[in-house]
Amino acid sequence: MKRLIVILLLLTAVLPAAPVEVLLAATETELQPLLARLVDPHTEKHAAWQFWTGTLDGKVVALTRTEGDPLNAVAATTLAIRRYAPKLVVTFGAARAHDPALRPGDVVVSGSFAAFDGMISAHRDLNGGTAPLQWKILPHAIMTPGEQEKYLPAFPAYEPALAVAQKLTGARGRVVTGVLGSANQVNHEPDRIATLRTQWGTSCEDPESAHIAGCALLLGVPVIGVRVIDGTDAEAAALVTQLLGGLK
Amino acid sequence: MKRLVLFLMLVVALRAAEPVDVLVQGAEKLEVAEILAALVDSHKTEIGPFSFWVGRIGSHRIAVSLTGQSLINCTTSTVLGIEEFHPKLIVNQGTSGAQAPYLKLHDIIVGQRALDYGNFTSPVRAVGAGSAPFAWIPVPQRLRDSATGQLVEFRDGFAGDPAALAVALRTSNPMGRVFAGVIGSAHEVNLELDRVRWSAQTFGMDVEEMESGHVAAIAHAYGIRYIAFRVVSDAPYAGVPFHPQAARATALFTVNFLQTIPALP
Repeated sequence: MKRLIVILLLLTAVLPAAPVEVLLAATETELQPLLARLVDPHTEKHAAWQFWTGTLDGKVVALTRTEGDPLNAVAATTLAIRRYAPKLVVTFGAARAHDPALRPGDVVVSGSFAAFDGMISAHRDLNGGTAPLQWKILPHAIMTPGEQEKYLPAFPAYEPALAVAQKLTGARGRVVTGVLGSANQVNHEPDRIATLRTQWGTSCEDPESAHIAGCALLLGVPVIGVRVIDGTDAEAAALVTQLLGGLK
Repeated sequence: MKRLVLFLMLVVALRAAEPVDVLVQGAEKLEVAEILAALVDSHKTEIGPFSFWVGRIGSHRIAVSLTGQSLINCTTSTVLGIEEFHPKLIVNQGTSGAQAPYLKLHDIIVGQRALDYGNFTSPVRAVGAGSAPFAWIPVPQRLRDSATGQLVEFRDGFAGDPAALAVALRTSNPMGRVFAGVIGSAHEVNLELDRVRWSAQTFGMDVEEMESGHVAAIAHAYGIRYIAFRVVSDAPYAGVPFHPQAARATALFTVNFLQTIPALP
């Protein structure tokens, strides 16, 4: 019997998990309102990352903790896609505005995503200082089949999910379609923010959404993003609930 | 019971390739070309858009991975490579930009440590006050400790495997010198010498590139030994522009290393 149990445990570890409809990726606090409502929850840990599966509003889902930075977000998304084969990835949470027209509580849904952490500076001699507002952009070069990298200043969002997202209702603001920008940066310099917006077209910044979108693009899984400007965890979770309800 | 064991073996066979001793990575084709040429009895496997070539170099079973450049590609392909091939050691190698004036074209830095240097929080400034990168506050990479469940900051990045480092420092670079040093990774090409000097002073960086620090973090999360080799392919202090063929030096160095390193426990 002992041997049988060991074998069954091994089997569980190597067999792919049951596929899910949607992968929800966000930070620990942003996940909490959804985890509290997850029906029949199961959790799995793998290396530094954790996953929860269950049912949310009738949808079979997996949730993963991104830790609020691109590396953890991409690693967790890769593992979750490999293990749970989701049909759609949803990245959600709060963001800081790049577009001066955005107000706290406004909701930005992903027309596209821009990973804006890439830059190239021109040569300057020692003691020549730095000219950050003149740095050129360096888009991520996404690997494609055939071993060719493709430089993409923006990653696409899944249009059918975008159509649903555009009909969401924000708790205290408008819903606009924009460019979700991400980098492991917190930018508080208005001049730099204006330059980033000019160069990348970003509506807002957060630490992970475009990197998750790039990973999903690499692995051929559609993606959608929903971000609340200076939003709360509850606001973002409520929007995800609306989104899940609207998805076919 | 016998039938169950057979079924289990079949499932394992279907799910993952045979483990390798070393996962060797390069971001670009030029960076893996010499390693692929040295790979014996090789065959190619594709996972998503990523190519892996499995074969032998010396006494070691090797998977060579074309990761693509920068964080999104290399993190995804490293996780896939680990899950598929369960390596005992990861070697990340390729080109880099010198961050210190002593380095010349074709010199190789063996990573005593590797870190992500591109993350920051900027202090608040007024509209029209410009941007001040030297005032930006670096943000270290964090990983969750699986034992304690806590997020841990790695301010100095991730140390290279001491045994692999020792072997690498005895390995021949056919085109230049070999030094132990610090490798910084970000999706950046920095040619402003004041900022290059700031990176060297702030993080201790000898070279900058786009993958090693990220791969080091993933290896650490999995508890896998890790080492990085980076050849100087551009040297802004000396006015040497990017010379992609320098990749050949680090690839040949990597082959020498793989032929030298003893069996991995």
